Amino acid sequence: MLKDYLDREIYNLITKTFSFSEITEIRMRANENLIVVVKNKKYYLKDDNGEFVKISKNIIENFVRRASENSIYAFNDNIVNGFITLAKGIRVGMCGNIVTDGDKIVTVKDFQSVNIRIPHVVRNCSLPAFDYLVNEDVKNTLVISPPGSGKTTFIRDFIYQLYTHNISKNVLIADERNEICSVINGEPNIDLGGFCDIYTNCTKKFAFKNGIRSMRPDLIVTDEIDLEKDLDSIIEAINCGVNVIATIHAKDMNQLKKKPNFDKILNEKFFSRFVVLSSDEGPGTLTNIYDEKLNCIYCRCV
Amino acid sequence: MIKWILIIILVVAIMMIAYSVSEQIKDKYDFFNNLKQFLNEFKINLAFRQEKIDEFLKKNNSKKQFKIFIEEYSNFLKTGEVYLEKIKVLEDEDKQMLQDIVKNIGKYDAKNEINQMESFLLMVDEKLAKANEDKNKLCPMIIKLSLLFAMGLAILLI
Repeated sequence: MLKDYLDREIYNLITKTFSFSEITEIRMRANENLIVVVKNKKYYLKDDNGEFVKISKNIIENFVRRASENSIYAFNDNIVNGFITLAKGIRVGMCGNIVTDGDKIVTVKDFQSVNIRIPHVVRNCSLPAFDYLVNEDVKNTLVISPPGSGKTTFIRDFIYQLYTHNISKNVLIADERNEICSVINGEPNIDLGGFCDIYTNCTKKFAFKNGIRSMRPDLIVTDEIDLEKDLDSIIEAINCGVNVIATIHAKDMNQLKKKPNFDKILNEKFFSRFVVLSSDEGPGTLTNIYDEKLNCIYCRCV
Repeated sequence: MIKWILIIILVVAIMMIAYSVSEQIKDKYDFFNNLKQFLNEFKINLAFRQEKIDEFLKKNNSKKQFKIFIEEYSNFLKTGEVYLEKIKVLEDEDKQMLQDIVKNIGKYDAKNEINQMESFLLMVDEKLAKANEDKNKLCPMIIKLSLLFAMGLAILLI
């Protein structure tokens, strides 16, 4: 699937050494060596002469051109947020020269580096936590982990498990970065079962407000919340009787406690479950589950 | 009898050549007219629908020379190379302008793309005005002159 976007030589070199099913990240930085991440280990790729593969600025520019299908303007809303989503949920993070107009970011030019993150559907990865999160109803849950530790993979599988367990809930997915479902031309590229309505590339505020009004969801699932910006929308949904599953970046509960508004979450008991993931045994390793009083109800045996 | 047939063939041949030359001039005008329309429609696309270029190109149903341009543009999206040799009605200078257009569309955000379209449209307007002038002046002149030439030749041969 990356064949259409990557430089042909680089694509051939990568496929000669690795299988795309095991690669989680490909990093290209201008004038630096190509890095491929497999199972949390970084590899510097060498060419046929045994030299490290150096990435030129041109390779990055061409990659961005192909990834945006020669239509930067059509992807600009995403580009100003620093990423493009490709088919199969592949997310391309990009850095470059930010063009501003006053406070507003207009676009990004002169791309300097790209980080291609390849998602993997890990079936049943949420099963160990499933019974803790679903009783008669789905509990309001916050999934916590550092970047690249499988939050999105976890919630994807959790939604799929609801479907396979025949828990017939209307699931509204507020997919701000089009990462959970990778919807391309109106079709999700990732199978999440048959109960999902999906808002992509819109703010959580919009998705929560309009979704509750128009789609009558039982459960809203969203990725990477910002406790300062998104908490009001989450509270509104919970107060409307809609359950919420969200993810947030934090290494563990101690780090989460330092985030703004966490006291409010805890005091008002907005979330009944806190699921902590890590990369200890690969992305998505279930480490702890806490209840609303922060009592540990599941702890991974080491 | 053979002499008459040969004269008729000669007159018809001269007229056909003149007709094809004037058609080429008309085709050039049509090409720039289509290009102007294409750029204007793309400008509207940028302002509202923001369809990707390949989707936008698929909707274009132009004929003749502009169809070749659309095909070559689609190839460029796949290969990154522009070949405009097949477009017979254009001069090298026109082809260079087309290359610039093809290579620069899609590189910027919508606002800057629209600004870019405005500048392309100014260039195309100049070309269109020149092509229109050629069409209005040269086409009737070529037909008239070739008719006169053919008739003169026929009289001489008779």
